[in-house]
Amino acid sequence: MAVHRISSPPSSEAVAQLAVGDLVYLSGEVAVTGGLPAHKRMIAFLDKGQPLPLAIPGTFIHLPHMVEEREEGGYDIHYVNPTTSRRFDDYMPRLIRELDLKIVGGKGGLGLDCVRAMRDAGCVYLSLLGGGSAILSAAIKEVLQVEWRDFPPHFRLSRMRVEELGPLTVGIDAYGNSIYDQIDRTARERMPQIMAQLARRRQEAAGEL
Amino acid sequence: MIDEALIQEVTESLYSAALRRVPPDTVRALEAARELEEHENARATLDLMLRSAAIAEEKGKFVCSDSGVPTYLVEIGGRAQWQGDIKQAIVRGFAHLVETISPPLLKHVNNPLTNERGFAGKEMPSVAVDLIGDAEYIDITCVPKALGSGRWASIKTFISPSLEDIEAFAMEAIIEAGSQHCPPVIVGIGIGGNFDLTAKLANRATYREVGSINPEPILAAMEERLKEAANATGFGPMGVGGSTSVLGVHIDYAFGHGYTPVAVCFNCWINRRAKARLHNDGRVERIF
Repeated sequence: MAVHRISSPPSSEAVAQLAVGDLVYLSGEVAVTGGLPAHKRMIAFLDKGQPLPLAIPGTFIHLPHMVEEREEGGYDIHYVNPTTSRRFDDYMPRLIRELDLKIVGGKGGLGLDCVRAMRDAGCVYLSLLGGGSAILSAAIKEVLQVEWRDFPPHFRLSRMRVEELGPLTVGIDAYGNSIYDQIDRTARERMPQIMAQLARRRQEAAGEL
Repeated sequence: MIDEALIQEVTESLYSAALRRVPPDTVRALEAARELEEHENARATLDLMLRSAAIAEEKGKFVCSDSGVPTYLVEIGGRAQWQGDIKQAIVRGFAHLVETISPPLLKHVNNPLTNERGFAGKEMPSVAVDLIGDAEYIDITCVPKALGSGRWASIKTFISPSLEDIEAFAMEAIIEAGSQHCPPVIVGIGIGGNFDLTAKLANRATYREVGSINPEPILAAMEERLKEAANATGFGPMGVGGSTSVLGVHIDYAFGHGYTPVAVCFNCWINRRAKARLHNDGRVERIF
């Protein structure tokens, strides 16, 4: 289990060396949103060939966030935490390819169409700890930009500076390997023997009772 | 006398407290799982979970950004003395929490007909009421229910199911949820009753103390073997591999019928819940 320190915007070389199961600490600029409406709007912008209101720095994280703008300028960073990435499966392949993403973060991984897009784009998926708000929020050092304020705060598209965000687990590498897909297939393959073991244990219990 | 003001105050404070810690039984279960876990990544993830829980509790931070759907179970003793509108007291308690809590909550709820977002919606908070013997108190359990795990719940009505049928259904739900519900989870299973009672049994089973033994021997054995089976799947903490996919399987049952529903539901690893006992003399005792 190798441990990497990656800066963002990430280089293709840095991302290429990551293997599933490796741990990553991420520092630098990241773009984040927690919302389906933001994903839909991003696709609408791509459809129109319109630039997004903020530059995506190669890293895009499914990260609902509660930040509030101060009257005197700047932001109060209250908390962040990852959300389920698979909700965005329909939108991510285009975002990965057309925004030239190198790192996508969130929790629970992405579907196989996304895995293929990631392989084509040289992009990896990093798993953040769900329920890790106290640790993850402390790594957010600065909120640089918040767009689409017509959405609720956690659904907005924001740009942040993070320091040592992690440890994050590489869930999908840039070569088409997905730990989620591997584990899911293994679990399904194991089911006949798991069910047989359950049957044995039922018989044991019936004998004892 | 237990009055509205007390219920409002208690339900509000239970919610705020539940958001800022992983309950002690769950921390113990995570620590025990950490000792047994052999997968390197899983151990690292369990360590991180324990660290997150410790920091949240120590610093009073939210464990998760998803403050969930406010869910309360109100268990009223037969000799409890109370007056007023319990439901409205809970509604007001949550409304006051939304106005005053720091840091602020996010709007996780919408009107499913219009998609309009808010902190609360129709029929919220979700309040279930039960009657408990002749106790001289009211127990209130508060669960900020996150739907990232909640959405994987499943219910099916069987025709006279065997234990094998029930266990196969539970395993299907566990496989289907896979890596998605922030494992290691608590699995709640309800067997029998009717549609809503089955779901209620499953849901309440998740509230039970992690590590406690089911008093019903058939279910105690079933819980043990299903936990072993779920952990043999290999999903592991946060679904990135390991032998800790569930912290506990909790099962409850009710009367059967030819048509017997079975419900399976999940609570994510932070397993947020808090419970207080309101005594007739106004004393409040925190149960967990």
